[in-house]
Amino acid sequence: MTAWITTLLDGLAYGMVLFIISVGLTITMGLMRIVNLAHGAFAMIGGYVAAVSIDHGLSWALAALLGSAAAGIAGGIAEIFLYRPLYRKGELAQMLLTFGLVFVVTGLLTLAFGVDFQRIPLPPSLSGEVSLGFRSYPLYRLFLIAVGALLAAGLWLGIDRSLYGARLRAAVDNPAMARGIGMNVDRLFTATFVFGCALAGFGGVVGSELLLIEPAYALKHLVTFLVVVVVGGHASFKGSFAAALLIGSVETFGKFYLPSLAPYVSFLLVLVLLLWRPHGVLPAKSLS
Amino acid sequence: MIARLTPWLLALGFYFAFAEQLALGTNVLVMILLTLSLDLCLGRAGILTLGQSAFFGMGAYVAGIVALRVTEDPLIGLAVATLASAALGALTGALILHTEGAALLMLTLALSALLEEFANHATAWTGGADGLQGMKLAPLLGTFRFDLFKHTAYLYSLAVLLVWFLVTQIVIVSPFGRSIDGIRQSPARMRAIGTPVWWRRLCVYTLSAAMAGSAGALSAQTTRFVGLTTLSVLVSGTAVVMLVLGGTRRRYGAFLGAAVYVLVQDYAAQINPFHWMLIVGILLMLTVLFLEGGLASLPEALLRVRRRESKR
Amino acid sequence: MSLLSRRSMLGGLSALGTSALCTSTLATSCGLFGKASAEVVKVGVINTFSGPFARWGEQTKQAIEVFQKQRGKTVKGSEIQIVYRDDGGADPARAKQLAEELALKEKVQFLAGFAFTPNALAAAEIATEAKLPTVIWNAATGIVTRKSPYFVRTSFTLPQDTAPVAAWAAKNGIKSVVTLVTDYAPGYDGEAAFTRVFKENGGEILESIRVPLPTTDFAPFFERVLEKKPNALFLFGPGGPSSVGMIGTWASRLKPADIQLITTTETQEIDLVKIGPAALDAIGSSHYPETSDNPLNVSLRKDLEALFGAKTIPDIATVATYDGMQLIYRAVEQLGPRPPPDAVMSLWKGAKLDSPRGPIEIDAQTRDIVQNVYLRRVKAQGDRLINVSFETIAAVKDPWKEWNPG
Repeated sequence: MTAWITTLLDGLAYGMVLFIISVGLTITMGLMRIVNLAHGAFAMIGGYVAAVSIDHGLSWALAALLGSAAAGIAGGIAEIFLYRPLYRKGELAQMLLTFGLVFVVTGLLTLAFGVDFQRIPLPPSLSGEVSLGFRSYPLYRLFLIAVGALLAAGLWLGIDRSLYGARLRAAVDNPAMARGIGMNVDRLFTATFVFGCALAGFGGVVGSELLLIEPAYALKHLVTFLVVVVVGGHASFKGSFAAALLIGSVETFGKFYLPSLAPYVSFLLVLVLLLWRPHGVLPAKSLS
Repeated sequence: MIARLTPWLLALGFYFAFAEQLALGTNVLVMILLTLSLDLCLGRAGILTLGQSAFFGMGAYVAGIVALRVTEDPLIGLAVATLASAALGALTGALILHTEGAALLMLTLALSALLEEFANHATAWTGGADGLQGMKLAPLLGTFRFDLFKHTAYLYSLAVLLVWFLVTQIVIVSPFGRSIDGIRQSPARMRAIGTPVWWRRLCVYTLSAAMAGSAGALSAQTTRFVGLTTLSVLVSGTAVVMLVLGGTRRRYGAFLGAAVYVLVQDYAAQINPFHWMLIVGILLMLTVLFLEGGLASLPEALLRVRRRESKR
Repeated sequence: MSLLSRRSMLGGLSALGTSALCTSTLATSCGLFGKASAEVVKVGVINTFSGPFARWGEQTKQAIEVFQKQRGKTVKGSEIQIVYRDDGGADPARAKQLAEELALKEKVQFLAGFAFTPNALAAAEIATEAKLPTVIWNAATGIVTRKSPYFVRTSFTLPQDTAPVAAWAAKNGIKSVVTLVTDYAPGYDGEAAFTRVFKENGGEILESIRVPLPTTDFAPFFERVLEKKPNALFLFGPGGPSSVGMIGTWASRLKPADIQLITTTETQEIDLVKIGPAALDAIGSSHYPETSDNPLNVSLRKDLEALFGAKTIPDIATVATYDGMQLIYRAVEQLGPRPPPDAVMSLWKGAKLDSPRGPIEIDAQTRDIVQNVYLRRVKAQGDRLINVSFETIAAVKDPWKEWNPG
């Protein structure tokens, strides 16, 4: 019986990690509708910067902040010089450019940090076990569940239900019209992209105990990030939240009860979900 | 006319001039065929896919299994592999082609990943992670032996590539091909004039799968080895990269893109095995940002620049 | 610069290029007829220098540079030149293509490397057809050396490292075990070897769990182990980031329940740095004791730190490469810069070497490595984590060959 509860918690925590890391992609790929395969690269930048900060004695919280900021800044620069020329060039061009960007970032980070993977040691306040009565459970995973829930709530309120969100959706749907009524579309896009990449960086740091920071990170987990966003429904935070938790839980239960079939479980789940709901399990209503 | 024949002349020239590099040359030819298959599916029909590796791998494994268990005749192996990949294409296409965009992309990825996992487990048939080895091939057409120096392999691959190239050229200029072009530009409009869009897409997808399967079979037969990497998403991704690099919907875009990518990767990996990713990535980004039509459009782009300069 | 001078510059360059090409072609063709003046011995190294497993290639390169610093780059006047080629990971087709290129185009005298078994197996044909003495520096599946009469191995085999600890466990109070291995060929090897020897010695295997290679979250698998309540968990993984996840999860969920961790090479010192205190008290079974005070090991570590930084730690690929180079240098020393391949193989069969890991021997029949296996526990020494040996099993032959007579 208790194994069931533990597995549920494990599934939720794993799902939360998927959500936290992928939600930035919901913003860049979903809200802004560009095919962004380089999301993992920004998460990586966040992770590496955080690892270096901790090596220099900074606290975990500060390192996480610096990592997010670095990823955000990288995102801003990329948006202005690389992504902006591609808004009108179509999905294929975006796919290829971002793929090339992944290669470049991977190559640069390998040059700077070597081929080995990095650890971002958790602060004492987040490590160790906490007693749940029937057993002890890692504090880190409870932390992930909390952060994920807060993030989901914050984003839903801050973007889906705010004026900023409405402006953004308007600008994406019809940039000419948006400019016509006086919106600074360029600045809006850059700011949003920066936010999305900062979230990626944050996700990279926070999730680094499960998805370790290594040169192969961006390519290795590319499919994972994409799946959460597409299965959830492109621009929908509720969607990615639901998708991440669903995939995380089903996969975790699959691993516990049917370990030999575990790899098939996740792919089959994705297949079934996408065939049943090609626009995502909880698609955003504003999309045409 | 000479311009149209250039790639073929170059390919033959390579055979004589670089007789010690025929393994690399054969690899280039196989990659060209794979990229050409993608041009049909992605470039012309607009079907977003990262699952071409499923057909490439299918073709490779079937060719290998046929050689090991049924017959060592390469042409029979090639035919069976091509048919098997076409069947896989038809089946999976029927399942997923009603979706579009990112959902379709993810579905192609999921199917590809499922196939890879299956191959990993089915060790009795596929050899699992160690791969299929020890296959032998009977001499082509009874006379041409497959030797260590890859003389036969190279010309065999070139011949298969030529056949498929002619097939695609015929398809492209046919009414069917024109309708595919229309479907890529606007499926809604095509439906409005009564074109059976889903069926046409399924046909293209199946044909493209058959081509990729042939490429896989060639890969298996010329290297006499099949591994799990033939099914990996990296193969699909690389094919997309090669296609866009060379230029989509151009007669020789696939040729240019595949040749450049494979040769640059080979060369860069020799200079510094650690950092070729950086070089290739920069090349990709520059192409996308400044050469919209891919490298195949380079002559036109240069002409435009010269015309602009001469006007000043 | 006017068009005219640009053209002439281009013309000059092409002339230079053409003459260089002619000269080199001439030189190469002279070499073909054995009239080359400088005898360069080329060693083709195919290893993994990029991608997630680039650590193997990195260790190889470090070992070669240290070795050539210690023993010099020439043997009796012949320069030993290393030609590196990257296979990018487990890519047998590429490995085979690279082997062909090294054999036919570069015309190497020796082939070496191969971090992955499938890559080694694919290259076997080339080694045999081109008669290239080949030293396997990493691949660890039993069957590898059987695939070509020109293969010799200086690394290890998984059953070789696994069998001793399985026997030890059964004789030292561990009655039940759950095995947890990664779902691919090396994992099956480890599982089979441990299961067989453990059962032969009276132990009971409660369950054999296989974990998909791309797994990031191991928690549910370990919860399953917890349910079974074995005395110990036998673990095999692909190394790198997975080890952090696997061992970390063991430490947080199974260690408090007194389930002992038994591994083979997952707790090598180089990884302990990253895994951290979670690895404390894990038992490992390995052929390379990193803290050995064997003089070769001491100088290896010293030179590694001098050349690559104080944090450089040698690992199994480092020593395998080092010893592989010893074999190659010995061949050139005794048989000259163009040694007849069959003479090299006779020299290598039965060869005894002093290695940084201890005494090793190349078995005369199987051409595989015979070496000591050390059982050790992870302990803290100051702020470092090291492996402390508690038992040595001498001169272990690869058991797989005995279980599978060819």
